[in-house]
Amino acid sequence: MANTIDNKLLFSAKNIDKHYAATHALKGVELDVHEGEIVGLVGENGAGKSTLLKIIIGAESPTSGEMTMHGEPYDPKNPLDANANGIGMVFQEQSLIVSLTVGQNLFFGHEREFSKFGIINWPKVYKEAQQVLEEVDISNINPRKRVNELNFATRQMIEIAKVMNVTRQAGDQKCLILLDEPTSVLSETETKNLFVQMRKIAAKGHAVIFVSHRLDEVLEISDRIYVYKDGASVGMLDTKDASEIKLYEMMVGRTTSSEYYQIDKQSKPQEEVILEASDLGLAGIFKHINLKLHKGEILGVCGVVGSGKEEICEVLCGDEKPTSGELIIKGKKVNFSSPSKGLREGILMIPKERLFEGIVRTLSVQNNIALSNLKKLSKFSFVSAAKVKKQALHWIDQMRIKTNSPKELMIQLSGGNQQKVVFSRALASECDILILNHPTRGVDVGAKEEIYTLVREIAALGKAIILLGDTLDECIGMSNRVIVMKDGLITGEFDSGIYNKPSQVDVVSLMM
Amino acid sequence: MASNKTVDIGKRMRLQEHLMKYFSFSAIVILIIAFSASQQNFLGKANLKTLLSDSAPLIIMSIGMTFILILGSIDLAMGSVCSVANVLTVMVLNDIGPSLSSPVLAAFLALVVSIIFGAFAGVIQGIIHVKLKVPSFIASLGFMSLWQSVALLITEAPVSVAKAMWPAIEWVKVTFGVIGLPLILALIGVAILYVIQNYTTIGRSLYSIGGNERASRIAGISVDKVKISLFVVSGICAALGGYFLAAKLRSSAPRVGDSFTLLIVAAVALGGTSLSGGRGGVLGTVLGVFTVSVIQNGMNFIGVDAYWQNIVFGLFVLAAVAISVDRSVRGLVVK
Repeated sequence: MANTIDNKLLFSAKNIDKHYAATHALKGVELDVHEGEIVGLVGENGAGKSTLLKIIIGAESPTSGEMTMHGEPYDPKNPLDANANGIGMVFQEQSLIVSLTVGQNLFFGHEREFSKFGIINWPKVYKEAQQVLEEVDISNINPRKRVNELNFATRQMIEIAKVMNVTRQAGDQKCLILLDEPTSVLSETETKNLFVQMRKIAAKGHAVIFVSHRLDEVLEISDRIYVYKDGASVGMLDTKDASEIKLYEMMVGRTTSSEYYQIDKQSKPQEEVILEASDLGLAGIFKHINLKLHKGEILGVCGVVGSGKEEICEVLCGDEKPTSGELIIKGKKVNFSSPSKGLREGILMIPKERLFEGIVRTLSVQNNIALSNLKKLSKFSFVSAAKVKKQALHWIDQMRIKTNSPKELMIQLSGGNQQKVVFSRALASECDILILNHPTRGVDVGAKEEIYTLVREIAALGKAIILLGDTLDECIGMSNRVIVMKDGLITGEFDSGIYNKPSQVDVVSLMM
Repeated sequence: MASNKTVDIGKRMRLQEHLMKYFSFSAIVILIIAFSASQQNFLGKANLKTLLSDSAPLIIMSIGMTFILILGSIDLAMGSVCSVANVLTVMVLNDIGPSLSSPVLAAFLALVVSIIFGAFAGVIQGIIHVKLKVPSFIASLGFMSLWQSVALLITEAPVSVAKAMWPAIEWVKVTFGVIGLPLILALIGVAILYVIQNYTTIGRSLYSIGGNERASRIAGISVDKVKISLFVVSGICAALGGYFLAAKLRSSAPRVGDSFTLLIVAAVALGGTSLSGGRGGVLGTVLGVFTVSVIQNGMNFIGVDAYWQNIVFGLFVLAAVAISVDRSVRGLVVK
């Protein structure tokens, strides 16, 4: 790798602070990027990486601090402004419009440049699109193809091509590309290909900021690595001086993850099988799923996005009807047509997207807690307001939910506290089987630990849990047993007892 | 994360709610002062009586629509369901009534027929909306056209209630001071729906579905069942509106409901129910209805042309919705 630190400074951020009411999301963060450099950002979820990227791209503004780009003061009002300054970002969630063609996506919002008297010259669009694609070495894609016909890796490359193209329009200055977890949906070979492209981009003098949870990738591709923890930079390393262990120590401030996931508290599952799926399938998504879940067991399900693990959750909780196979709960064959039927049999899901699926933000905390067991709090379908309140007070106390009153609107709580409300609701429903779909998604580190404690306690009570972890580490750390999925099939199963946790490498090898 | 923003949103939601609550109330006060200052007899007993009795059918229908709007849906067919119930009522009174032992029995039979029809209309509309996933806006638009034609097919021209059957509709004239029996019955309807809204599982589910349908489903609420039941409630309310109007007009009027569709939406929106769903309630709607009634009555009183009146109501709906709509939510306002 070239010694890029001697190159001209392209972008710099100094003393960036960001406050959200009670949360101090960024505390005096520093970042320098030189021309031709690939800089890796690492840190746990909630360490402030995403917030920093959002500030750089202009989606959020910093509370205080200064940024420069090309040596000029830089204060973007919005992402378009950032583009004009030569900064572009590929978002974690894909931002392509899948029903449009590749070419239409590449020049989305810039159609005017190709039009005469309001008529768009499509051949010209596609000709230039071909050139743009060649820049990132994916000339084998026909720009007339619709995006939804392409795989995720290609889509990712198209996003990068799009960002490159937009930023280059700033002139022939060097640009800065932000990549937020670009490899999370890619296979190993696709990732390698992406890295080759990144190197090419850097070789032309552009710079790349690369965010990934996979430390090995960061070590492989970056020139320098910034480590963040709890909203502050805890250090910057030249990649040649860094190692996974060193980075991990800096990130978490701990040398092992066992205390983090409270593995010593992991309880032994009971003998009794509470849920059994045999040959379960959902057309086009997954098939031949056989699994047994015991009382008191935490069963982790690992797999990349698109492996079918999310859909299994949906089928098990009744949101989606399976197209084949059968499901047996407590020895009884069941056939759910809706989650309310599932709830009746004692199975409930804590969904992944809290804001869209987990909470009703227009309702109060107490009404959210009572969502799943309203019937139990009523007589002749008349709801007892006193019972609703009493139940809420019980859980607010038990879960240490920070709220001024049970009548406070849900929307006024922080993410972690909202998630505790969702857990309270699930526990209040007295279900025996809980599906935890990314239970720690988007909550801060403190709340995360509390959730881990809680999950341990729930399991110790004899409830059975199916867990989709936010990270592989979490999934392995928390579970008694882990199943691995790939392309809609179960590709492996590991015991994950206190002393025989499988290595991440072994699990990943079956995922990819 | 982002708690600053969320606190602000919470505050804004509360502020919006208060704004809507006092909007219709202060509108009523201002309008009454303005009308009575310019028109001597506006607050006279005769006009007050007209104003209050005129609002009864609108109250009955608007409280049904309130539930649908809290769900985040809309029922544009209420007006035409009202029309069909209206012609059915007169048909039962005139055609079957004479063969029954008393007009009161005929009145009762007509009531039952109306309610059954309203419930039926609600069930099929609810099923088509919920099971076939046709947006309520389109489903009810289709039924609006359908029931409009059915009403005209049953009775093309208005038919008066036969003189022998007049005792069956006498109740509409019973008054206690300025308050008529229809208004009292309508307010009893309000009380029933208020209890359903605040104290029953279906009422509580109503708010959670309106606030976040997906979350409610995942939480194990029988969303489909609740939605269909509430469409039944709105269907029955619409039919009762038609029954009231038949008694009041002493005649069938196959197009009577058409003009109500806009008035209902205006009343509910003015009453502080959010068209994005999840917020509002029937008590606010009663205030909204009185606002609409005062405007309507006042305009009649000073002799505003009927066509101009519709312009005024159109503007009122737009203003009320613009104030109450939750702009922080992306996507469709009406599901």
